[in-house]
Amino acid sequence: MTTFLALTTLGIVVGCIYGLTATGLVVTYTTSGIFNFAHGAIGMMGAFTYWQLSVAWGWPVWLSLVAVLLVGAPVFGAVVERVLIRPLHGSSVDLTIVITLGLLLFLIGLANVLWKPTEARVLPAFFAGATPLQIGSLSVSINQVLVVVVAIVVAVGLRVMFSRTRVGIAMRGVVDDPDLAAMTGVSPARIQQLSWALGSSLAALAGILLAPLVTLNILTLTLLVINGYAAALFGRLKSLPRTAVGAIILGLLVNYAKGYTPAGGLLEQLQPAIPMIFLFFLLIWIPAARLRTSSAAGTAAPTVPGLRQSVLVGAALVLLAVVLSQTLSAPNLLIGGRAFILAITLLSLVLLTGYSGQVSLCHLTFVGLGSYAMGTWGGGSLVGVVFAVLLSVLAGCLVAAFTSRLRGLYLALATFAFAKAMDEAFFLRELGEGGTLTVQRLQIPGVATESDAAYFLLSAVIFTAAAIGVLAIRRGRFGRQLTALSDSPAACATLGVNTNVTKLVVFACSAGLAGLSGALFGGLQGTVSALDFNVLGSLSLLLALRIGGVNTITGALFGATCFALFPTLQSHVPANLQLAYLLTGLAAVSIGRDPDGFGGQVSKLGARLRAVRGTPPSAPSPSTASRPELEEARLVHS
Amino acid sequence: MSTPSAATLQSPVFDPRDPDVVLSVQNVSVKFGGVQAVNNANITALKGQVTGLIGPNGAGKTTTFNVITGLEQPTEGQVWIAGTDVSRLAPYRRARLGMARTFQRLEVFGTLTAHDNVLAAAEFRRAWSKDGSDPRAVAHEILDRVGLRGVAHERVDALPTGLARLVELGRGLATRPQLLLLDEPGSGLDETESVALGDLLIELAAEGMAVLVVEHDVDLVMRVCDRIHVLDFGQVICVGVPREVQADPAVQAAYLGAET
Repeated sequence: MTTFLALTTLGIVVGCIYGLTATGLVVTYTTSGIFNFAHGAIGMMGAFTYWQLSVAWGWPVWLSLVAVLLVGAPVFGAVVERVLIRPLHGSSVDLTIVITLGLLLFLIGLANVLWKPTEARVLPAFFAGATPLQIGSLSVSINQVLVVVVAIVVAVGLRVMFSRTRVGIAMRGVVDDPDLAAMTGVSPARIQQLSWALGSSLAALAGILLAPLVTLNILTLTLLVINGYAAALFGRLKSLPRTAVGAIILGLLVNYAKGYTPAGGLLEQLQPAIPMIFLFFLLIWIPAARLRTSSAAGTAAPTVPGLRQSVLVGAALVLLAVVLSQTLSAPNLLIGGRAFILAITLLSLVLLTGYSGQVSLCHLTFVGLGSYAMGTWGGGSLVGVVFAVLLSVLAGCLVAAFTSRLRGLYLALATFAFAKAMDEAFFLRELGEGGTLTVQRLQIPGVATESDAAYFLLSAVIFTAAAIGVLAIRRGRFGRQLTALSDSPAACATLGVNTNVTKLVVFACSAGLAGLSGALFGGLQGTVSALDFNVLGSLSLLLALRIGGVNTITGALFGATCFALFPTLQSHVPANLQLAYLLTGLAAVSIGRDPDGFGGQVSKLGARLRAVRGTPPSAPSPSTASRPELEEARLVHS
Repeated sequence: MSTPSAATLQSPVFDPRDPDVVLSVQNVSVKFGGVQAVNNANITALKGQVTGLIGPNGAGKTTTFNVITGLEQPTEGQVWIAGTDVSRLAPYRRARLGMARTFQRLEVFGTLTAHDNVLAAAEFRRAWSKDGSDPRAVAHEILDRVGLRGVAHERVDALPTGLARLVELGRGLATRPQLLLLDEPGSGLDETESVALGDLLIELAAEGMAVLVVEHDVDLVMRVCDRIHVLDFGQVICVGVPREVQADPAVQAAYLGAET
């Protein structure tokens, strides 16, 4: 009984914190229509800033709280809204996801610069010295009481604000109908900015309350605040009371599970991933959105090279790789191999995201499964590659089957939840925290692939073959079907296409290709750890592709090369500068201005060169400038 | 709100199992929150006829199309296509019974060329019907028929709206439907193109297709339609041949009311 009461208390306390973060998320989402993936990172930044002021600089607690909650966080939220969010008005859901993911990674990178992760920090609980309250056999710390009181005060405060104050009523008006609200003299932009300021404050508050319960660690804290997203989805991103209920349920669920799951066995393994599993199933049960398209203006689809051209370019690439394999030093061969293998992973995303328009934030999970299969059962054989591909295809089919009704934001969230759950329940368990798995390099009978040079060449050849294959798919019947699905799922359905099957097939193909790259990746590294397949890595991956250009092979190769070079760049700057996060985040944020990415630029440049030389492009690809509806979209963007 | 006119009451009652009845919408109602978008509507489209569905803006025409194609669930009522109750079928299953549609707000495959839009549809048809047809030949024939030969290799999102609507029409035809639903096919077309469209619709009906068309161009509707349903505030206020509908006082009231 005592255990039960203690777990219930803890559950309610944790639930209150989830409630605070989820409330902030809902407030920003309802007024701006943009889901802030960076919310967790804002909470983390809030906690660290508070630590900096109150512990490192010794400011009084009250002053530090005022500085963070009433000054720092709201100003930050308002600036983010003005600089990043407002220009996104009217752009596609995919773009908004990428931008806030970019912000998430950027903030994590920034936090690593400001607060060296190697240093241990402790944020003391509030009233740490006070004697706990004794209620019967149950002991409740003052800090826990404080959390609950704060949550109740915030809930009541928001309720009063939304029903009684001018600002609150204006906010509700903007949620219902921004245009109508604008006519009554309310500035929707101003209200949106205010709600982002409020949302940031709530995130920071949650971070500050959460930090004493766990350790002050950048990733841990960010990911914990992210758990609160599930509560927001319980409120369907709309209702604050439902969000609060969802938060308490989640808090209790997590703590009962922690207290009652028997040691060993599947349940114990799943236990850390409960919030994400909760999120995943909430999404599946969300009422089906109507089959509609919202993409008023897609990104420019670049000219697709023909078979001849792709084989020629491919041959040139392989030749270049042959030369490089003879000349590059051993460390550079590793970097090059890494670039080609990552490029294969990105190709799988080109197929899924670029061609069929589905977002996936779990591709590194498929890569990880590929590595796992190769390392566990493959032993470097060709059969191992088959295992790797099959395991990933299986996982891809599962994800696709469960999420077949979801699109845009919900699909992104579901794949995110899957990746994070797999991270927590599978990779961290199977490979061990800090542990590694040895993966053999692929051996093909009769071909020496063991040396770095040979493995580099092998990766280049497989990438080239995969690229030619992906382009062939694009030109063919299946490619047309994918483009059709991306452009208008509603039209596909009314033309007799079972879009669920199409999605399943493309998800399976894409996951399989990612699994193949995983098998190669493991071999290149020799060992893999759970960190290699972290969910944040999946985000960086998608961002790298967006930066390169989501529907071009050039984009995949460019994004992968940048990505592979990060560790090298990293070695030239102070260790605490997390370049991978900082740069990816920064670049992703910048593509709000140009959604076509690097590959799109190359394609446009090619078209322009051909125009200058007077030869018509092989297939007509109207430049964006000549399309009035795109012009319009650009105006909205800027 | 108008009461059903004499023409409605006199219109024959159709059996949805009758082979000539390709589409039968029975007592369909749709509510969005508190708004009654469609109210107990009965609509029938017959084989070999062009049936019109007209009414002021917001009368529920597009919602009716969405209910027929399965993109929207009705609060009440049934939809029958070619003798089958499809009320519980997914959109793609309904389409495979031989139904195609166009959209008022364009739903073209914008990043594909006009040719590839039609080709894709022909390929879809071949994949689910397994009829062994040659998609490329079908696409070729249809592009000629709807008059898109000249722009076949243009990307559709670079085409003017009127032509993009024709692409949607061609795409629908490529699935060889027995029932074709057209949502404002004539808007964005000039007069010559509009006349050509009318001729095409009459031709399609003559070949045995059932065509249901939502259109604001009154001249076009009166010229091509065999029967017309008039929707107002989600209710069918009148059904009849063009002459009857034009003379109906309830219809005149609805249109005049909408304009003032």
